[in-house]
Amino acid sequence: MWKKGSSESSDRFEYLQTLVTEFQDTDSEEAKEQVLANLANFAYDPKNMDYLRQLQVTDLFLDMLTEDNENFVEFGMGGLCNLSMDPECRDIILQGGGIRLVTNCLSSRREETVLSAITTLMNLTTPSSRSEITDAAILQCMLRFSLSESPRLRNLAAVFLQDCCTEEQVAQAEQQMQGQQAAVGIPLPED
Amino acid sequence: CDLSVARLDHKVYKHHEQRKVCISRPKYREGRRAKAVKVYTINLESRHVMVQGVPAIGVMTELIQLCALYGAVEEYRPLDEYPAEEFTEVYLVKFQKLTSARAAKRHMNGTSFYGGVLHVCYVPEYETVEDTRMKLQDRRRYVIRAVQNKEMVIPAHDKPCDRENTETSNVSHYSSFPLLPPPPQEYQYYRHKTQHLAAPTEDRMGTLHSAIIASEQQPVPSSSQTSSDRVRCPEPRLTSNQSAAGRFVPRTTHLESRKRRMEEETEHSLTNVTRKTALLIGPKLPEPPKVDMEDESLNTTVSLIRGTMKKVESVPDLKPVEKKVKPRRRI
Repeated sequence: MWKKGSSESSDRFEYLQTLVTEFQDTDSEEAKEQVLANLANFAYDPKNMDYLRQLQVTDLFLDMLTEDNENFVEFGMGGLCNLSMDPECRDIILQGGGIRLVTNCLSSRREETVLSAITTLMNLTTPSSRSEITDAAILQCMLRFSLSESPRLRNLAAVFLQDCCTEEQVAQAEQQMQGQQAAVGIPLPED
Repeated sequence: CDLSVARLDHKVYKHHEQRKVCISRPKYREGRRAKAVKVYTINLESRHVMVQGVPAIGVMTELIQLCALYGAVEEYRPLDEYPAEEFTEVYLVKFQKLTSARAAKRHMNGTSFYGGVLHVCYVPEYETVEDTRMKLQDRRRYVIRAVQNKEMVIPAHDKPCDRENTETSNVSHYSSFPLLPPPPQEYQYYRHKTQHLAAPTEDRMGTLHSAIIASEQQPVPSSSQTSSDRVRCPEPRLTSNQSAAGRFVPRTTHLESRKRRMEEETEHSLTNVTRKTALLIGPKLPEPPKVDMEDESLNTTVSLIRGTMKKVESVPDLKPVEKKVKPRRRI
């Protein structure tokens, strides 16, 4: 059984490695998308986390966030959402400057990408990263999402605001937002 | 309560669609089933599912009974306002657990039901904030526990069992046998899908999402569930030769016998909520939730053991059911 287990897991590692290699070597955008989606889905299963870390798939996903192809961004963000559940992967993402990259995805036009980004940000929250993740700009973003028409976005933003931030932080961000809106609403002096 | 909050929301979202399957994959990346290029995350999953394509012939009871095979159903209702194809209905079903919803989606989607083809999808937009929070927490806990237990090498075939069991059981060994279908028998609760016979593990596209059904029950701190799983898992070698549930039973027969059995159980036991008059199974089911072990032989074993335990609990229970079924079938 043990022998079998280890050969199977090395098979898995090799398979994942083949995927990563194909991703890097292929010029086909379509193949890249498929492989990326495969890798992101493999990241859903905790038993692949080790391999994906070894293969530096965390960085691969992070790289995708700045691509022009929206599918790349969505799949990469989905992969990070899956991987960041694991504390070790979380730390790698944090070290790779993940917060800023993930935060940029909050302005994506695709809901799935935004949802993945919010969940990832929650996963990335540690005592040391908390201050960066609860930055006023991010909180304002979440406040806007919490008023969204989409129930999924609304709920997820609500969880973020309730679980990752203090009430004072939220209140402060609300004030700032109102301040901005009020400022926008005030007619400019005519002279 | 929960459902009524979302009552006004019957938008057709993109994640309800059955996406176009991808046909350009090279052989080495082909999965077991044709699938679209899509990434699954916890955000897409939910214990709320929507079932489309239910023939509008008054089969809600049967539908909910079918759903209940995969786990306790907490709430359900028709979504009359949701756009449906002609002569079909759409239902919202809220399972108690995400794992049940996952099993139901996986097994029911694309299957035929009273002449219609069911389309089952998650509808996370019906979640409350609390639902969403719990879903994420459960997932995080599950992943953390799984990676902590990872020091031991876990064979790919161990999925049917809790990770904690791996060191003590030989299940992986047994489940890797090529599986032969046991002879057909009437006494059967669970639907089996033939395509699972040859494919007990996840496929090459990493669609693990649905492939780790059994092990993901772990995070739910239901002690009885876990301990009974523990009992069940190592069992196959002892019992599999006796063989158990058959694979093919006409659906109506299957549902009839189920219904009858439930009714009898209501008479026999106190555990049960509803009378015969309350046809629907609804929230509380007489049966333990279906455990989908993602492996045909384990599923068979589970149903066998459950059957045996029922027999032991109440001796007259099993036999009468079988006897009653037969005459009915001839008609």
